[in-house]
Amino acid sequence: MINTILKYGLISVVLILLQILVLNNIQFSGYVNPYVYIMIILILPSLTPSWLILLIAFFTGLVIDLFFGSPGMHASATLIAGFARPFVLRIIAPRDGYDPGSSLSMASYGFRWFVIYATTIVLIHHTSLFFIEVFRFTDFFRTILRIIVSSIFTLAFILLIEYYRKGR
Amino acid sequence: MRNLLNFLLKYNNIIVFLILEGIAFYWLTNGNTYHNSKMVKTMQGITRRMEGRITNAKNYLSLREVNLQLAEENSALRNRLEQFNHADAPGFDSVNDTTAGRQYIFTAARVTNNSVNKQKNYFTISKGSLQGVEPDMAVTDGNNAVGMVVACSRNFSVAISLLNLDFRLSARLKSSGHFGSLTWDGRSPRYAILNEIPQHISVSEGDTIETTAFSAVFPEGIGIGRVSGIKKSGSDFYRITVELFADFRQLQYVTVIGNLKREEQLELESQYQ
Repeated sequence: MINTILKYGLISVVLILLQILVLNNIQFSGYVNPYVYIMIILILPSLTPSWLILLIAFFTGLVIDLFFGSPGMHASATLIAGFARPFVLRIIAPRDGYDPGSSLSMASYGFRWFVIYATTIVLIHHTSLFFIEVFRFTDFFRTILRIIVSSIFTLAFILLIEYYRKGR
Repeated sequence: MRNLLNFLLKYNNIIVFLILEGIAFYWLTNGNTYHNSKMVKTMQGITRRMEGRITNAKNYLSLREVNLQLAEENSALRNRLEQFNHADAPGFDSVNDTTAGRQYIFTAARVTNNSVNKQKNYFTISKGSLQGVEPDMAVTDGNNAVGMVVACSRNFSVAISLLNLDFRLSARLKSSGHFGSLTWDGRSPRYAILNEIPQHISVSEGDTIETTAFSAVFPEGIGIGRVSGIKKSGSDFYRITVELFADFRQLQYVTVIGNLKREEQLELESQYQ
């Protein structure tokens, strides 16, 4: 138990540092903004109670917000993703359900399952984030394009990290 | 009572979610000038210090010391220049008054945090109220407008970038003097949009766009960019695309410009508006 908590704590810190120190500095264009920190919500064990997921989501978002200097944007978007997580998990549950002890990783449930899962959560998070950011519906399709492009980059990073985790 | 408990148990997720989301949205809607929020102010010290370190490491590669010296020297010279520049200064002024006859003060600062990829970009500079920076001072990259200070802590200030959907700047055509309002459309950090120039005015590509002194923030005639595209919109105005002079992706040193006579101008104007 303690081990698991320590492990997730460490992964969270690494992901947040990666986001702040590296990815926030990618100023490639307004379209490419990978937000890899969402992976913290993604890989929490399937047993985690929903209220804990929500709390973790909120505080993750809060930390990112403080470093971004954005008011509550990431907190609310990450919350929405955390809230949606149990429903997404229920819809895409594998045939014999989730193994309570294992983490939600590519190693436990396979590539296909993980990609579907990650794509859904990332799209939910990015959609809420980018719309909260602009807070208007003008230039609707440009916002959609930003969501799609950024999601692709976020997913690429998440899959890379996941492969690394799987390999170990 | 039991029903209530059952209800709370059944919907505890939604309740937690709504409470936390409520907090986040409260912050979002009330804190759009986010540095006002108290919590952020206390946290600011920590995050700013970290950002400062990160920037330090980055600047090492770009000869930070030399740049800083040059920027300081530049602003000192400008201060001197501004003192001599005014013809209306009294002739033999023996009083040692450093603000006599001058309207603008300049100071150089380092950019410790910056972004161009958001829709509402802000940047942080390394001087604050202790160094005399105040909200509503103009920020230039030396020659060209880049933003405006919106909040100061003791040693840092946050400035709203020209690349922010909420930022408006009064700008004019250098050639004819017709003025309009410059905004950013959130697309590319290299281009902004100049509106409210009527269509009977001749504008051609390559024309220089510069600031006006209307808002009492920027001095007159600070460069902004050059016209790169002209479109006739449905109304009677042009929609002019302006290629910005300043490269926001490489903003390292900025000059903050304070207007000493701003209060006076605004006070007088407020009597008639």
